[in-house]
Amino acid sequence: MLAPISWLRDYVNIDVAPELLAKKLVGIGFEVEEIIYQNKKASGVVVGKIVQVSPHPNADRLRVTKIDIGGKLLQVVTNVPVVGGEVIAVALDGAVLADGNVIRAGELRGVMSEGMLCGLEEVGLTVDDVKGQKQGDILRFDGSATLGQPALDALGYNDVILDVAVTANRPDCNSIYKLAKEIAVALDTTCKEPEINYVTAGEKVSDYVSVEVKNPELCPRYMAGAVRNVKIFESSQKIKSRLRAVGIRPINNIVDITNYVLTEIGQPMHSFDRRDLTGDRICVRNAEDGEIITTLDGKENRLDNSMLVICDSARPVAVAGIMGGLNSGIKEDTSEVIFESVKFARDSIRRTSRTLGLRSDSSARFEKGIDFASQEYALKRALTLVYESGSGDIVDGLIDVKVDFKKEREIPFTIKQIRDILGCAVPKDRLVSILARLGISISERGNKLVATVREDREDIVGVNDIAEEFIRVYGYRHVKPTLFKYASLTSGAIPDKLKVIDKIKDTLAACGLHEIVTYSFTSPEFADKLSLDENDGARDAIKLLNPIGEALSVMRTTLAHSMLETLVYNLTHFNKSAALFEVARVYLPKSLPLAELPYEEERVSIGAYGDGVDFFAVKAALQEVLKALHINANYARSERPYLHSGRSAEIIVDGKSVGYLGEIHPKTARIYGVDNTRLYIGEISIDAIFSSKNLQKSKFAPFSKFPTIERDLAVVVDDQITAGSMIDAINKAKIKYLSDVQIFDTYKSEQIGEGKKSVGISFSFSSLDGTLTDDEIALQMKKILSVLKRASGAKIR
Amino acid sequence: MKEKLDGIKANALEMIDKAVNTSELNEVRVKYLGKSGEISLVMRDMANVPKEDRPAMGKLVNELRGAVEGALSQKTAALAQKEEEAKLKAEEIDITLCQSDRAIGTLHPLTLIRRELIDIFVSMGFSVDEGPEIESDLFNFQLLNIPKDHPSRDMQDTFYINENMLLRTQTSAMQARIMTTQQPPIRVVVPGKVYRSDDDASHSPIFNQFEGLAIDKHITMGDLQGCLQTFAQKIFSKDTKVRLRPSYFPFTEPSVEVDVTCSMCHGKGCRVCKGSGWVEILGAGIVNPAVLDMCGIDSKRFSGFAFGFGIDRIAMIKYGIPNIKLLYENDMRFLKQFN
Repeated sequence: MLAPISWLRDYVNIDVAPELLAKKLVGIGFEVEEIIYQNKKASGVVVGKIVQVSPHPNADRLRVTKIDIGGKLLQVVTNVPVVGGEVIAVALDGAVLADGNVIRAGELRGVMSEGMLCGLEEVGLTVDDVKGQKQGDILRFDGSATLGQPALDALGYNDVILDVAVTANRPDCNSIYKLAKEIAVALDTTCKEPEINYVTAGEKVSDYVSVEVKNPELCPRYMAGAVRNVKIFESSQKIKSRLRAVGIRPINNIVDITNYVLTEIGQPMHSFDRRDLTGDRICVRNAEDGEIITTLDGKENRLDNSMLVICDSARPVAVAGIMGGLNSGIKEDTSEVIFESVKFARDSIRRTSRTLGLRSDSSARFEKGIDFASQEYALKRALTLVYESGSGDIVDGLIDVKVDFKKEREIPFTIKQIRDILGCAVPKDRLVSILARLGISISERGNKLVATVREDREDIVGVNDIAEEFIRVYGYRHVKPTLFKYASLTSGAIPDKLKVIDKIKDTLAACGLHEIVTYSFTSPEFADKLSLDENDGARDAIKLLNPIGEALSVMRTTLAHSMLETLVYNLTHFNKSAALFEVARVYLPKSLPLAELPYEEERVSIGAYGDGVDFFAVKAALQEVLKALHINANYARSERPYLHSGRSAEIIVDGKSVGYLGEIHPKTARIYGVDNTRLYIGEISIDAIFSSKNLQKSKFAPFSKFPTIERDLAVVVDDQITAGSMIDAINKAKIKYLSDVQIFDTYKSEQIGEGKKSVGISFSFSSLDGTLTDDEIALQMKKILSVLKRASGAKIR
Repeated sequence: MKEKLDGIKANALEMIDKAVNTSELNEVRVKYLGKSGEISLVMRDMANVPKEDRPAMGKLVNELRGAVEGALSQKTAALAQKEEEAKLKAEEIDITLCQSDRAIGTLHPLTLIRRELIDIFVSMGFSVDEGPEIESDLFNFQLLNIPKDHPSRDMQDTFYINENMLLRTQTSAMQARIMTTQQPPIRVVVPGKVYRSDDDASHSPIFNQFEGLAIDKHITMGDLQGCLQTFAQKIFSKDTKVRLRPSYFPFTEPSVEVDVTCSMCHGKGCRVCKGSGWVEILGAGIVNPAVLDMCGIDSKRFSGFAFGFGIDRIAMIKYGIPNIKLLYENDMRFLKQFN
């Protein structure tokens, strides 16, 4: 809401600087986003008097002038035909014009020029902003202007405009008058009302127009007035410059009056040319499906039955509350005008405006909500302006079609209730006087107080609202901090799931990985980029109705794509290596289109590239995570299409895959634009591995005080026998004294034979009871060998 | 004879003194103490010495032997020490060199701040909860006193999935979920991702909020202020002051914006606070009784406060991160800075 201080001053005496006023407004709940000084639009442009004009020695079209700017003479070269004695505007050396250009002194065809003569355009104005100036000419002043004074001040263009952020609960304050009322409260002074004062000139409004409201629910009040012998002309300078100051383009006296009242009172108004209202009739009804109206902006709108239209007896003439039709606007020769002042249901206007993509200053106001009191006041104010400006003769009477409404409501409360909400002492006399200043009267009824609230404060419905009205004026400085002074003691807690996530993050960071956070939505291309199978459930991603763009339009079903994109980002941004992880959700619909909320699964992903990064480095990090959560996993070959078939694995816990890890398939890497770098990723469902055992305390196991004895064994097995299966077989056999098994070597050679490999295994033995003898160990090694023969077909080398 | 012994002694000690390594010392040992060494020969010659002179002579020879052996072992120890020192010297390294990569990783600044926040509020008796990011219109709006087509929906640009489902625009959605399933006393904080269709230089369509809700008998605006002051002093600094300004949120009444003194300049005014000395960090208020009633909590018996703020904003203030977009770019050179 733009509010020129000069306009506010029509109703309230403002005797503080704009900055202090802004502070006071913030104090009562109105944030001032900006203080706009009109006279800062251009700087260094001042009033000067031409004292001498002489021809330019080197150019016929130029003149050399001497200009008095109040005790100092400037020499300015110009092509403007000025004569001695004229008072004009001149930009000095260093002046900044409205378009941002800086004026510098310099030679013009060999003659020094210390400035430039300026017109409206140079100071950023049009003829609507100030009086007595011509577009395309230089600014000229009469003798009363002070030499050296800033030109904008001399033009009277020196208002200060507040840009006030009005919260959604105070739609009434989207008006100069209501804002002035709030300022009066903030400054502890009084506020005048916009004047209603006009004389009618006979005839009856009912002879000019009849009004029927078919849907009073969406149009609870419709008021109209008529003006005849209308003369269309340009509005007064005051009205034009005020409208321009709040960003409205002046059009003609009648349209400007509706906009002026809209800004001043906050009530949207509309004016019809009576000639265009077929049958002198206005009917407010729901549109027919498919009904078409072309609005003032030239747009053709196809309406539906949920929308409200204003019609005459033949056709729609306006989309209710949003925009008038092209067919009924005010024209140069309009002689009879019908003014409309209506209350439309807020939600209906909002819906229609959204559906049609049609917005106006009126619809913006209606969407926020208009109170019942404004229609009559605004209409009378508009007629006052018609009367004052001599725009026509006002017809007797007003049309008022309305539902019953309450002018005020009562809210009973006690001082204790207010005190219990605010937690500070509430002096009754202060409460009463503050509420009175806000227009809320207090009476006593039994042991209760009763607040009487006028209809225009729709936001005040209960005791909490009364408390807020009081404290915003009384001041929050009166509320002193307490810490649950009268409330019960509670003990805080962190859920296990979050503790598990913290453990995962700490473990991965300790393994040298860096945590990332990426967007939850992504491009629908992700599935094709990962070459997912046509039937892969991960293709079922939830789509947004109104995404920012296609690239951020579906909710991810895997973290792989985000991780790959982040790896590629780092690769192309000068990072030689990266080791990353993310803990985030994927969004898995139970069915599409979405009928119920989806399953949001918590996952961890890791990704890396660079020197020293390989399959086993990634596996080691994931194994640390699983170990930290007391989980045993097995690994099986993975068939995911985006992974290297020979260097990837499914992570199996309790017989089920809970995730995967591996090198990215070279084809997939190329799709992501990577040619010569091996990328590695892994992903585990945290939900799939989450259980109470994750947070169990590790249990102490006793260890031997006696020497540990080590034995190595080299066996030959078939190529496809995995190290994991051999170790599993040994572990399953529960070999006595065996405390550790490690594969330390595998290799192939011609000697060993085609399709075979040699595997070197080291064993550690220890006993809690004493030092083991060679015989005891030999016996166990014999058992191990037979286990390996049976399970893996191993032969000793 | 005595002269001869003195001569041997002088020669031996001189050789020992001059020896520069253990092998030269060994030569000395062999020359004098070896089987056919000079001192051994003298011992053997003892048979030729007159019987009465033998004790005195023996004593002299033993002294000689003792002196040479003593000098030898002293020199051996000295040389061994010297050689070890030389070895260490040879193994000297440039201790200003480093392993090229740091071995330990980092947590994201949003995680670091989130943990700090959780710590602060858990210590004040709050529990932590999370909720769905894809939320129904009912919890995100309607139960928070924001009906369909209500102007206050303009305060947030919402991503919709369909008419009734959306990406939550505020962690406040969890307020409604918690109030419809729990009875007071309730004291809970909710950290989590939220979404708004705002994407420009200073906005990210995804950011993180931290919601707080306390419902009990006798909860006042003073308690809200006390709670937030404790929080602000713990997260920023002990001298941080808190200021409440009237504002509007549909689900709180009265509603306030909360400013804290700028942690950069401690209220003196700087670039971060645009010279005002105050930084706006959160919105809060007394839970609107209409919301309590809609969610099944008797507003005549219970009252409460709620607050919500951006974790991203706190992280940006605390770490001096100039642009929110940096948080989601995940450049290694950014990530490595925080621990």
